[in-house]
Amino acid sequence: MKRRTFLQLGTMTAAASWLSGCRSANEKLIPYLTPPDEGVTPGMAVYYASSCRFCPAGCGILVRVSEGRAKKIEGNPAHPLNRGKLCARGQAVVQELYHPDRVTQPLKRSGPRGSGQFTRISWEEGLALLTEQLGKLQRERATDRLALVTPPLRGTLAELAAGFMRSFGSPRHLSYELLGPDWLRTAARRSFGQPSLPYYDIAETRYLLSFGADFVEYHLSPVQYGFAFGRMRQGRDTVRGHFTYVGGRMSLTAASADRWMAARPGSEGMLALGIARLILAESLFDAGSLTANGLRADDLLRRLEAYDLDRVAHLSGLRQDVIAEVAREFATTRPALAMAGEPVAFQTNGPDAVRAVQLLNVLVGNLNRPGGIYPDAGETTGPEDSFAELLSLVDRMLGDRISVVMVHGDPVHAVPPATGFQEALARVPFIASFSSLLDDTALQADLVLPDHAALESWGDVIPLAGTREPVIGLMQPVVTPLYDTRQFPEVLMATARGLGGTMAAAFPYQSYLEMLKSSIKKRVGPAGGGDFEVVWVDLLRQGGLFKANNGQGKSLRWAAGATLPDPGEPRFAGDEKQFPLHLQVYPSTAFLDGRGAPLPWLQQLPDPMTTVVWDSWVELNPETAVWLGISFGDLVEVTSPQGSLRLPAVIYPGIRPDTVAIPLGQGHHGGGRYAKGRGANPLALVALMGINREPQPAWNATMVRVTRISEKGELVTAGNPQGSYRSELIEI
Amino acid sequence: MEKMTSPYRWGMVVDLDRCTGCGACVVACQAENNVGICGKREIAEGRDMHWLRIERFWVGEYPNVRVRFLPVLCQHCHDAPCEPVCPVYASYHNPEGLNGQVYNRCVGTRYCGNNCPYAVRVFNFYSHEWPKPLDNQLSPDITVRPRGVMEKCTFCIQRIRRAREDAEGEGRKIRDGEVQPACAQTCPTEALVFGNLADPRSRAARLSRSPRGFRLLEHLGTHPSITYLKGGGREHV
Ligand code: SF4
Ligand code: SF4
Repeated sequence: MKRRTFLQLGTMTAAASWLSGCRSANEKLIPYLTPPDEGVTPGMAVYYASSCRFCPAGCGILVRVSEGRAKKIEGNPAHPLNRGKLCARGQAVVQELYHPDRVTQPLKRSGPRGSGQFTRISWEEGLALLTEQLGKLQRERATDRLALVTPPLRGTLAELAAGFMRSFGSPRHLSYELLGPDWLRTAARRSFGQPSLPYYDIAETRYLLSFGADFVEYHLSPVQYGFAFGRMRQGRDTVRGHFTYVGGRMSLTAASADRWMAARPGSEGMLALGIARLILAESLFDAGSLTANGLRADDLLRRLEAYDLDRVAHLSGLRQDVIAEVAREFATTRPALAMAGEPVAFQTNGPDAVRAVQLLNVLVGNLNRPGGIYPDAGETTGPEDSFAELLSLVDRMLGDRISVVMVHGDPVHAVPPATGFQEALARVPFIASFSSLLDDTALQADLVLPDHAALESWGDVIPLAGTREPVIGLMQPVVTPLYDTRQFPEVLMATARGLGGTMAAAFPYQSYLEMLKSSIKKRVGPAGGGDFEVVWVDLLRQGGLFKANNGQGKSLRWAAGATLPDPGEPRFAGDEKQFPLHLQVYPSTAFLDGRGAPLPWLQQLPDPMTTVVWDSWVELNPETAVWLGISFGDLVEVTSPQGSLRLPAVIYPGIRPDTVAIPLGQGHHGGGRYAKGRGANPLALVALMGINREPQPAWNATMVRVTRISEKGELVTAGNPQGSYRSELIEI
Repeated sequence: MEKMTSPYRWGMVVDLDRCTGCGACVVACQAENNVGICGKREIAEGRDMHWLRIERFWVGEYPNVRVRFLPVLCQHCHDAPCEPVCPVYASYHNPEGLNGQVYNRCVGTRYCGNNCPYAVRVFNFYSHEWPKPLDNQLSPDITVRPRGVMEKCTFCIQRIRRAREDAEGEGRKIRDGEVQPACAQTCPTEALVFGNLADPRSRAARLSRSPRGFRLLEHLGTHPSITYLKGGGREHV
């Protein structure tokens, strides 16, 4: 008798003791408004529907709450965007709520800026300090000396912030985010005459050609596109969608591709036009689509003459036969889909390179088709050139024309210092931060008015992109606030009330919740039927407003008179002799631009490509490493015309020998015990590049050199650098 | 294989053609199961506590290089090398095909961990801390394992148990798809499919018969409950 069989006699009791602890069944979804003792049994878990606002994707979540504590975040299966799925970051958001270093009440600076010395004060005091500063500007008739800096806001909060700044009389609301898709909106406006973001029907496509669009990690709507990718591969009986990725670094997304084309950085747009020319020359294009878009093949072919195969192969560093093969595959497999992503956009020729990729979609006729591209139903407008606004604010701050800055978010960490933002902010006499951790920005602030954690907040979350039906997700508090914090919009409203006069009159609401309800009521319209309270509770229960109504009518069409994209050759900061390597900075899978770094689960999550934990690193091709005498884990110095950094080296077989890459996200001065002083922030290396003297967010156009310092990189990887099993042993 | 006394035989299918290596499952597992937070030193010592990890392989050389991801969790073997070596019977097999670990029996010999060819058993070499108020996130359904105890993936047995009680309350069997471990639940690409392999019509059972299927280190004869499906296509390696 196997010992196991023998054991079965005794195991039932063993299992019971193993599972000691109370049994907890799950109640149905309940809205927060249900009184705590009604329909909720102590010891039983309940689920609250809410939304994730950790990144702009805005997925729907369900939070399992037991005994008044949030336990586990799951995807909301009813949410049309993420259908019950979540990314690693969304799973970790519960640690934002219970972070041991949260700011528990308002703080006033008591030491020099950056020292982290603060005095605890009450909300009355805190609000009075802010109102006093703003009141002074009003009295001096200098209301435009107030600036508000936030990430791009949507929905009710956007309305509120805009109303606040309008009634105060300051046009200086900067909505900036390093990874904001401004470039996609601008490109769409120039190509299609409308600034809406694209919706990619990845699930139904048969040939996906991504020029640097990293939809597995962060691009537009990672969970939605990850879901679609699974379907594209194995969701259809007889079709397995093919995936080709173009980019100098093999990203996590590229790792899933069937073919990786390591094009030289900045050459992607020209490569796209080379593919377009070949499709035209070999008459593989969709004639109907060209006519419908007002384009003529012979005319296009003539104008793309300069992009012959020979030249494009030379520019991109790829083989001619490979380019031709991909061009033919792309044109003859229908439907086929081309996407452009951040690594392409953040080059000096980025704006036109993105449009070159869009042109490919027109050529093979996949606009407004299953397996192709539609206009997205997310917010149809949004910042198109917030980078220019950022620079103009920096100018004003440097010219001492800004006296008060209110900041939500952590721009001190997530804006490249080459813009001069940090230096300019330091000149501003009064900075108020709304961070719930003492992050890099809050450390510079004179006043910290801590926001609630996401799981304590009310709000609406309009997904950036990823659906063809308009979606409004709702956020509701799932636990009572832990500390003496207040929601950012509540603070804005209280400040307006404190200022009195027209400011107070602009916000006739008792609370942000009331404002939120009235704005949702407007969105629901009369269709919702009689009693809005009933509708509201229903919406909270399901997590938002998901009914399809319009948006289906819109379509994409190449705009009459739109110029042909002309990316031209890229330019780079730093001369080739001194700085022989291209630097690519990319958002870390776990931390994005740095917002995930405070959460220990994300620090402990091995980076999927390198398995590095709790750190940052620079990736070098094995050949380059040999040439520079660098081994895995060595401490190296990376120097650009802008600055230098020390960090450990990772030998990375999936990167061009002339390129190195560093993930964004680490290198915080603050941000709590898990983030502070860990790794390095590569934004310090990035130089500012301009097109026709106008600075552009060309974050990947900096050249660097790398030198070895010592063998003490203190790099820790969770896996063996080569993987634990030999892959042939396990047949993959 | 021995006679099954239960209508359930839990198993999983991992479709490597879908898996993008994103790591959502890794965090979901840690969140669901009170898995300790490990610092840099602990991981440097090879003592990471994750119950589920994504193996990453580089295949080939630049520019013809590829990456393959392999989610590895307890394979819930039917001939589990970890079970016969435990002197106190902490590692056992249950009638539903789960390879269980009774924490309060474990005396920490680590024989099971030594014997596991998949290296999925993790030992609490240290006591793990959840600095206040981080401890609020701990699930009341599962114990927090102290120092000196071996732990591992349970296929989220607390969820299976909950589903079984719900089903029994209604006098029926657990439906296909009704219970999912945290990893499968969150996987954006639906690469992980969990289900009852004793029911030939369940999604997991159907997928496990795919011609793309293989078992991890199959030649060791451990008879895992997890079937991996090979990535299709990949013609350009
Ligand atoms: S993709 Fe963004 S919104 Fe969705 S779960 Fe992840 S962090 Fe949250
Ligand atoms: S969540 Fe799914 S796609 Fe992501 S690593 Fe895990 S199994 Fe792979």
